[in-house]
Amino acid sequence: MSERTRNIASVAVIAVMAVALLLLTSTQPATSDRVEQIGTRLKCPVCQGESIANSPSQMAEDMMDLVSERVSSGVPDDQIIDELLSSYTGAVLLDPPASGNTLVLWVAPVVALGVGIAVILWWRRHPGQKADEATSPGKSRTRLVIGGVVLVLAFAGIVVVAANSLQDRPAAAAGAADIDEQDLSEVSDETMEAVIAANAEDPQVNGMRLALAERYFDGGDYRSAFPHYLVVAEDPNATGAEAITALVRLGWMAYDGNGEVETATRLIDEALAIDPGSSVARYVRARVLWCGAGETDQAIETFEELLADPELAAETRTQIEEDLEMANDGGECP
Amino acid sequence: MLAFLGSAGVIAALIGSILLVVRGIRRAQGGEADIRTPGKLVLAGAVISMVAMQVALLTDDFSLAYVANHHSSATPFPFDVATAWAALEGSIILWGLVLAVFTWVVVRQASDRLGSAAVAVMAGVGVFFFGLMVTVANPFEVCVDALATGCAASSAWPFTAADVPANGPGPNPLLQNHFLMAVHPPVLYIGYVGLTVPFAYAIGALALGVPGPEWLRRSHRSTLVAWSFLTLGITLGGWWAYEVLSWGGYWAWDPVENASLMPWLAATAFIHSGLVQQRRGMLQAWNFVLVISAFALTILGTFLTRSGTINSVHSFTQSAIGPALLGFLVLVLVGSFTLFAMRSHLVASSPRIETFVSREGTFLVNNLLLTVYAFVVLIGTTYPLLLEAFTGTQVGVGEPFFNRLAVPLSFMLLLTMGFGPVTPWRGAAPGLLWRRLRWPTIVALASGVVVALTVTRVAWVILAIVLGVFVVAAIGRLLLEFAGARKAKSGLSLYREARTVIGNDQSFWAGQLSHIGVVLVAIGIAFAANLPLHTEVELAPGESVEFAGYTLTYDAPFRREEPNRVVQGVRVEVSREDRIITVLEPRANFYDTEMGGIITPAVMSRPSGDLYLTLRNLDAETVQLGLDTSPMIWLLWLGGVTTAAGGFWSLAMRRRDRVVEEPLVLADV
Amino acid sequence: MTGRVLRWAGLAVVGVTVVLAVVLASRFGSDPGLVDSPLIGRPAPEFTLAGLDGSEGASLSDLRGDIVVVNFFASWCLECRDEHDDLVAASESFADQDVTFVQVAYQEAAAESLSYLAEAGASSTTRYLADPGSRTAIAYGVFGIPETFFIDPEGTVVGKIIGEADALILGATIDSIRNGEQPGQQITGDTQQRPDA
Repeated sequence: MSERTRNIASVAVIAVMAVALLLLTSTQPATSDRVEQIGTRLKCPVCQGESIANSPSQMAEDMMDLVSERVSSGVPDDQIIDELLSSYTGAVLLDPPASGNTLVLWVAPVVALGVGIAVILWWRRHPGQKADEATSPGKSRTRLVIGGVVLVLAFAGIVVVAANSLQDRPAAAAGAADIDEQDLSEVSDETMEAVIAANAEDPQVNGMRLALAERYFDGGDYRSAFPHYLVVAEDPNATGAEAITALVRLGWMAYDGNGEVETATRLIDEALAIDPGSSVARYVRARVLWCGAGETDQAIETFEELLADPELAAETRTQIEEDLEMANDGGECP
Repeated sequence: MLAFLGSAGVIAALIGSILLVVRGIRRAQGGEADIRTPGKLVLAGAVISMVAMQVALLTDDFSLAYVANHHSSATPFPFDVATAWAALEGSIILWGLVLAVFTWVVVRQASDRLGSAAVAVMAGVGVFFFGLMVTVANPFEVCVDALATGCAASSAWPFTAADVPANGPGPNPLLQNHFLMAVHPPVLYIGYVGLTVPFAYAIGALALGVPGPEWLRRSHRSTLVAWSFLTLGITLGGWWAYEVLSWGGYWAWDPVENASLMPWLAATAFIHSGLVQQRRGMLQAWNFVLVISAFALTILGTFLTRSGTINSVHSFTQSAIGPALLGFLVLVLVGSFTLFAMRSHLVASSPRIETFVSREGTFLVNNLLLTVYAFVVLIGTTYPLLLEAFTGTQVGVGEPFFNRLAVPLSFMLLLTMGFGPVTPWRGAAPGLLWRRLRWPTIVALASGVVVALTVTRVAWVILAIVLGVFVVAAIGRLLLEFAGARKAKSGLSLYREARTVIGNDQSFWAGQLSHIGVVLVAIGIAFAANLPLHTEVELAPGESVEFAGYTLTYDAPFRREEPNRVVQGVRVEVSREDRIITVLEPRANFYDTEMGGIITPAVMSRPSGDLYLTLRNLDAETVQLGLDTSPMIWLLWLGGVTTAAGGFWSLAMRRRDRVVEEPLVLADV
Repeated sequence: MTGRVLRWAGLAVVGVTVVLAVVLASRFGSDPGLVDSPLIGRPAPEFTLAGLDGSEGASLSDLRGDIVVVNFFASWCLECRDEHDDLVAASESFADQDVTFVQVAYQEAAAESLSYLAEAGASSTTRYLADPGSRTAIAYGVFGIPETFFIDPEGTVVGKIIGEADALILGATIDSIRNGEQPGQQITGDTQQRPDA
């Protein structure tokens, strides 16, 4: 058989078989299970990058059940994926969509291939001249110097930027916050109640208790204030200042709310036992006695003692001066 | 004691590396300096540090924070040995040791300026890694605040009084589940670290301004060692994933897996284009670019694997290791490419390529495909991380994306593998290729038709078979052609002449063996990915189910106590036509530290593929099992090992002059 | 290739690397957090779930008019245990302020959640619901727990906390919703997956 005949025969055989293969084969996967297919496009949110079709986890199974249900109801593929996309972010997709953020992923490989082919073709045309453009030592040194400068600048830039950015690392994101560092002015009563209830064991919460109780107190809501003051007063871990504030308030409320002068003075005496010099305690005690027991003289005496103290707070001073005046005038308590 | 010993070893290696850098540079400039002593110091230091860690692990010395945090006295051998590289600080010891060995090899070879320059670069890399161990990733810190198991705080000073916990939590249970975990990292690290050698020679050549094939020649063996081990390491990794992760997956395009694939692709391209430079003097500049990229990709790989970036982009700045690795990567890229740019005039010239229909031409195609492949994997892996770092948006890039691009690229590579070896250097005489490939084409298409008619109609499988047979048939025919030509002159048997042909150019035929390995991998993947069977069943004891031609009967549940874990599972009888073949035990392993169990599948391997049983749920009444088949999966492992074998064969042959005569072009018979 | 072309190519690589490194380094410091859940600003997915103990549970539409706090939890979740007391405290504190707390068990058998609640102490003002098939968790795009969603009286999702919530952040979020604001997404910490997933 001549070469030519053999060639033609070979080509014919090849062509026939190629056609046969094209007809015989199909690109449909053996198991064209729609559910499975959709499953391979979705990432199991609780796994390390596995698709829900492949992952054995319970969550993946649940999601596959959902997909299965939707497929049986005749929902089209894209809609099912959109449904999940509307709950989760794009992180649930294993196949980046050819748009928006991820368009570059589709374009870049094609561009890379194109660039590669272009470079090869260009190189074929311009293989470069012989290396006998004997570089003079001067030129060579210049190049090295330039290289060195480039290097130094590059590193300097990177180091400076990195150092700056690493220093401004912000504190850990908002969240489990330190109790005593909070700005409480914006926070509602219910929130403070919740925080206090949740941290009841923590002695640091006393500050917050007092703050909340003060709010109630200022609003005249003695009923709500009372339990908080009581807890602080009875807490062996409370600081002296906290205990004094609580006891004094309790005392005032006992008098003002229930008219119980003896209970009031007893409570304030407890506060004075902690710090006999406490001006707040002495002042309130004096007021209680003046208003409740009519002991005006004793009150005036105490007022004057207090006013004599140069370190008295300005507001308190004003208040005491007013009271003193009133007591001196008529004796009746406002 | 061990902390001191280990730290001393690391410091010794660091000092040795610094000395090597200094002296290597001096020698490269023409001066005299002794590099053997520092080389031995580096090696000794690295060995001592590894030995110290191993002794600490084997003797349950929990005064070392690393041992306290990653080891448990219940961990069986050999997993306690492997604990040395189960976590970051320990794995750097392994990296350092392998690097020290490769550095020693380069030191011994360093008889001239180029060799000395390479030594300096190798040692420079060593300074970085040993430096890491002395600063932010110190594996020999002493525990100063013990917990019930583990260590809360540690100190780098080896003579600190230790607060020794009673025990440690042991390595991550996933790492204790299979002996492969003990083997896979060292193999992979030899692959990674080995790529430092050609990089060092390349930088040395650029720095000294000595272009040409010398640096390629000197580093060729190390490149082959690295590539072979990397191939083996990736295969082992796939096998481990398949055996341990309970869904029959051997590859998931996971960032850590991709981290090992990218340098492999670059190294494969480099081996091929290196041949072009050695033969024809072309592609010099490209080879520099490739080898720098391959090395940079190994650093990127380590960064991705060890910096915690994968779990959360921002967790990686919580320790200094992430930034350190990233910084080193930037240093390598900026330094190498600046050097390249400044020396570009030396590497610019090259002979003209006459025609693309030549061995050089096919290597260009091969390099193009491999480079695009590596690029695709790179952007797919890093894009989500970069996007999240910049905008907080999370996108998923997973299997569908990678497969879409990798599959066509792989098929094109297979095709190139068929053409390349039969195309002569410089250009093919008209009609030569047709003559050499005519029969392989026919045989390949015929195989495809046969498989389509008997086994499956799925196009991807047929295509893989057609291309695979094409490659193998082309190789076979080439061998026959050469052997036949010799036989015609010598009268010896075809077989003997074939052996002579192979013996005369072993590196070429070793490469062909690797190509055959790749073909096997491709066919294995095509079958396993396209034709698996899957179902979920729920069985009561005694119940049976038919699956994949087998009858599976649920026998009974069981519970076993082992030193480091509790194993709970079920016994399932596998039979065919009333004959019991085997009993499989899909199970879950419960280790102390985990609240749930590690699901371990039971695998039955047959020539047609694997039968795979996974435990889903076990209660008093029933068991739920996942049933899978992985057809022809053994082809994957065999193929991977064969591919690596080609590389090892190439290394094993005696060094001989590599000038090979072009075999005669046959006139038609 | 001419030497000059190669030189520029090499320097271009250096330039790109430096730019990338600088830009990346400048992002180390800030944590943009994650993009907001797509649910924020949109009507909350409806659910009708039975109680954990099989009793009649709740459906979201019935709670329209209240601020609804939907928290996903499970006994195997450590942060959930840590935030339990805070959830109880907040639920009870806001109970008569037209705020309803709902806690949905995630990826867990009802019996396990119940025994956990018995041990940790359930709140009488919170609805504890079972979510078979995780449909509600999927509808809300739960990636891990604890996650807490805030729905305003008109039924729009206006807030989400990823990670452990404490009474302060719960209360502050509710306060801002009462002020007509949309607190959006806040990340307080990590979320957890079921250990054997």
